[in-house]
Amino acid sequence: MDFLFQSILNGILAGCIYALFAMGLTLIYGVLNFVNFAHGELIMWGAYFLYFLMGKPFGFPLPIALIPALLLTILLGIGMDRFVFKPLRTANRLTLLIAALGLSFLLRNGAQFLWGAELRTYGFEIKRGLRILGISITLNQVAIILTSIVCIVFVYLLFHRTRLGKSMRAVSDNLELARVMGIDSKHAIQFAWVIASVLAGVGGILLALDTNLQPGMGLINLVKAFAATLLGGVGNIWGALLGGIVIGLAENLGVLVISPGYKDAIAFGIMVLMLLIRPSALLGRQE
Amino acid sequence: MTSILEVQNVYSGYGKIEVLHGVSIQADSGEIVCIIGPNGSGKSTLLKTIFGLIKPKRGVVLFSGRDISLKEPEEKVGMGIAYIPQGKNIFPSLTVRENLEMGGTPLHDSRVIEKALQDIFQRYPVLEKRMKMKAGSLSGGERQVLALARASMVQPKLMLLDEPSLGLAPKVIEEIYERINAINHAGVTFVIVEQNARKALKSAHRAYVLDLGINRLEDTGERLLNNEEVKRLYLGG
Repeated sequence: MDFLFQSILNGILAGCIYALFAMGLTLIYGVLNFVNFAHGELIMWGAYFLYFLMGKPFGFPLPIALIPALLLTILLGIGMDRFVFKPLRTANRLTLLIAALGLSFLLRNGAQFLWGAELRTYGFEIKRGLRILGISITLNQVAIILTSIVCIVFVYLLFHRTRLGKSMRAVSDNLELARVMGIDSKHAIQFAWVIASVLAGVGGILLALDTNLQPGMGLINLVKAFAATLLGGVGNIWGALLGGIVIGLAENLGVLVISPGYKDAIAFGIMVLMLLIRPSALLGRQE
Repeated sequence: MTSILEVQNVYSGYGKIEVLHGVSIQADSGEIVCIIGPNGSGKSTLLKTIFGLIKPKRGVVLFSGRDISLKEPEEKVGMGIAYIPQGKNIFPSLTVRENLEMGGTPLHDSRVIEKALQDIFQRYPVLEKRMKMKAGSLSGGERQVLALARASMVQPKLMLLDEPSLGLAPKVIEEIYERINAINHAGVTFVIVEQNARKALKSAHRAYVLDLGINRLEDTGERLLNNEEVKRLYLGG
């Protein structure tokens, strides 16, 4: 029984992080109508930026390094758009897809070049988890859940209470119509990159805190985020949140039935299943 | 009467494909001008060219005497021109209220937007009742009313409507045109493109018939409605 509860907790933990990834991915899809396959590299670079600022020669403590690390992630996200995707705005989807894949390779290999392919950690001692009702939870994991909740509430308030956020949703619904209304779509698109980068950076850092850093961490998590996005309906940010949690739970509960070695296959399985049942999810959103 | 809109000998199209081959129309302040014509005659292209979504290759568009041919849509909204595209003309995942707020974007100040919103709710109680609903859950007629109300947020002088009756039941079309007439009585000029032209011609002060990208006819709405050639060719007998 305890094992079940533990799996549920682990599932929610993983799900929170996937949700952060998926929300950013789906936001960019909504606004620009393409899947950014380099989104995983924003996740990975976010985590490495923090590693970089905490290591030599800076040696900043985590709370101080956090903000500049996220700012660098935002810069990377905006740079991606400015130098790769913006010049291709009117190109067809296949061109965009290949550009995004190429960018993903470039950034992944760039990180490998700088930091090597080996696993790294932020160097915190592994503390024993607190035991509550037979479930073990570490302080890091409490931080993951709290940070995710803060991010989600922040995104909710931004999208539903501010004019900029509402304009972003409008652009995501119908770019041409938003223009007709005098909404500054360029501004909204840039802001979408900022939000997607922050969510990716925060998620990447949380993930690295809980596990480790590795240049390939973005890619595998992109697949999870992609599955979550499909599950929630592409372009739907709250669907992505829910999808992320479902994927996290499915993976961790699935381990009770099948070997943990196949854990990553579960997200793939859900993705393939979604594409088989609802291929329309990829092509467009229902009104 | 002063002319609010003048389109003079405009050539326009998409990329290399030219759709309008020298079209001229004109609207006086306070008029409802209707443009009819078969599919592919360039009606929608004309509206898009007036609004600046497409730039004319030749010819000029004058708004209150100023040349606005090459201005961007964003600027034109600020000058008092509203455009309602055909079909998908609301934000389905935004609430009715948020849709209206988006229409108020050029007003900038939140308090001014809020005031405009309250004015709209007074004129359209049906929208106030639905304000928290997702616009995507509205009926076709309600969507069109919302689109009209949203365009009214900035109190435009000129409204460009692309097929407001598209896909609506006759009774609903009736209601939409009542709304249009009401806005027109308050002094707003309309240029309306319609394929389903009977209702539009009844409301219109003047109308143009466009065919294959050139002007075919121009007359009062009433007379075009009774014109045998127009009846036969464009109103389905």
